[in-house]
Amino acid sequence: MNNLTLNHTKSRVNSLLLGGMLVFLVVLGLFSLSQGVFSISFAQVVSILFPIDWVEYESRQVNVLYSIRLPRILMATLIGGGLGIAGASLQGLFRNPLVEPGLIGVSSGSALFAVIFLVLIPGIAQSFAWITLVGLPFFAFLGGLIHVLAVYFLGGRGKTDTATLILAGVAINALAGALIGLTLFYADDAALRSFTFWSLGDLGGTSWAKVPLAAGLILLPSLLLIGESKNLNALSLGEQEAFHMGVNVKQTKIKLLLLTALIVGVGVAFTGMIGFVGLVVPHLIRISFGADHRLVLPASFLLGAILLNVADLIGRTWVAPAELPIGVITALLGAPFFIALIFQLHKSRS
Amino acid sequence: MLSAQAIHFCIRKKPIVDQANLVIQPGEILAVLGPNGAGKSTLFKILSGEIPCSHGQVEYNGLQIGSLKPRQLAEVRAVMPQHSSVNFPFSAREVIELGLITIKAKNPRKILDEVMDLTGTTPLQNKLYQHLSGGEKQRVQLARVLVQIWDTKPFPRYLLLDEPTSSLDIAQQHAVLGILEKLKAKNIGILVILHELNLAAQYADRIALLKNGLVARVGAVNEIMEEKLLSQVFDYPVQLMKNPLNGHWIVGTSAHSFSNLSKSKQA
Repeated sequence: MNNLTLNHTKSRVNSLLLGGMLVFLVVLGLFSLSQGVFSISFAQVVSILFPIDWVEYESRQVNVLYSIRLPRILMATLIGGGLGIAGASLQGLFRNPLVEPGLIGVSSGSALFAVIFLVLIPGIAQSFAWITLVGLPFFAFLGGLIHVLAVYFLGGRGKTDTATLILAGVAINALAGALIGLTLFYADDAALRSFTFWSLGDLGGTSWAKVPLAAGLILLPSLLLIGESKNLNALSLGEQEAFHMGVNVKQTKIKLLLLTALIVGVGVAFTGMIGFVGLVVPHLIRISFGADHRLVLPASFLLGAILLNVADLIGRTWVAPAELPIGVITALLGAPFFIALIFQLHKSRS
Repeated sequence: MLSAQAIHFCIRKKPIVDQANLVIQPGEILAVLGPNGAGKSTLFKILSGEIPCSHGQVEYNGLQIGSLKPRQLAEVRAVMPQHSSVNFPFSAREVIELGLITIKAKNPRKILDEVMDLTGTTPLQNKLYQHLSGGEKQRVQLARVLVQIWDTKPFPRYLLLDEPTSSLDIAQQHAVLGILEKLKAKNIGILVILHELNLAAQYADRIALLKNGLVARVGAVNEIMEEKLLSQVFDYPVQLMKNPLNGHWIVGTSAHSFSNLSKSKQA
């Protein structure tokens, strides 16, 4: 009886927690919409977005809100959430809390293929912009997938040898970096220009055209990942153990690798490489609320979205009217965290 | 019945398991013993389905192992490997609950309560698995594999354990084997790899001796308890005697100087 209530409370606490994070994310988003060079107050934001006549506003404010800030904040939410949940899934799959899409080379794999795409198909006329819109994420996905597979097999197939895993990541990062350089060497001016725009293309370049594509290619895989959370729980005991418990390990692994590579690839294609979100977020969730992936995955999505929105907010208000690239902010926040993590690992070992 | 017929497994043309035959009946404990490198673990992995059986046949209740999906296999048999590490902060209860992950149980809470009671893991349930002692971890893992096959089914179930007593003290060793003994009444057949001959002699119904990938002998405990046979299998002189208190076999080994002496005596 005691256990019954205990378990019941647990699932209620979980849904409360996720609900609370969602509410916080929405409020943060609304607040972020009200911040920026062009002044729009919080009350005006609410009045514009929702059918409430709270305060008056100008049509210019509606324009800025709808065509500049809203797509950007939606994109930050999608990419941040995607990175959070992809990081949590990869950590579960590799059974290693240090794994992160950037660290093990998935992001640079995506970047390499994105660059190859930009160089192979340079100077596309404006009328064929949709090719870039669809082709870039597809190529980035392919690159991410190839690299995550390579790291997975180099790193000893999900055995928890951290050193090999990180070394494999370092090697692949270096190789991808060199190949990006080599590709750029053979690129013509037009290709170079589109690469430059892309590599600088943090959230600032977000237009409405990208949002639905990103929404589809990030939200759907995220939901599918959440569907795998029970299997991820089983995998945290080990692949053999998961098989003993009746999990189709091979199928599960293929699904996880495909879905995470897709999410990371889309993220890289649209906003460039944003590091550390996928590492920090699942960690914070596990430290605070436990390791059950049924909670860790959705919570990582929400916290990732929150974190990237905060980073974006800092990036575009701190040095306004100029902007700091969002990758710089997440690295500034994430790197010290990563160092603290290493110290903590040392401590727990000694 | 869990049966293995003529199973064969090679690494670089060297046979690790050589034409082995083995049968486990529901309600019995079969202990598998043998020196290091005898092929115990490989045999274990073939029986559990971890290594696909390409030569020979493994059948669970008359069904070929290859025809069973992981989920179906999980209903018939549970497996406890030698070491299982958990890298994330799961509580002991969460680890035990994982055993039910693909099992459709009518009353999962009852299963958990009964198994945690039997394994003495109830007081541990809210502790972090990572913070448990070696013996406690072993008991939590045992509880995890037990919940998987706890529910009575119309068919017999099997439990395979690879050295479940390896990191345990004397009292804990007996506690674990005592639990296995109780499972016999639940129509569960048990295969357990052991290193300790004394434990095997006391708790097993039958013993299989493995050497160089061959099943040297299978039989009831009394048929296996021969000094010559055991000494040959383990490459070390073994002395057998009976415990005057309860009549159980006691398997003795001695330091090298003494064994040399007895060898020269035999000669």
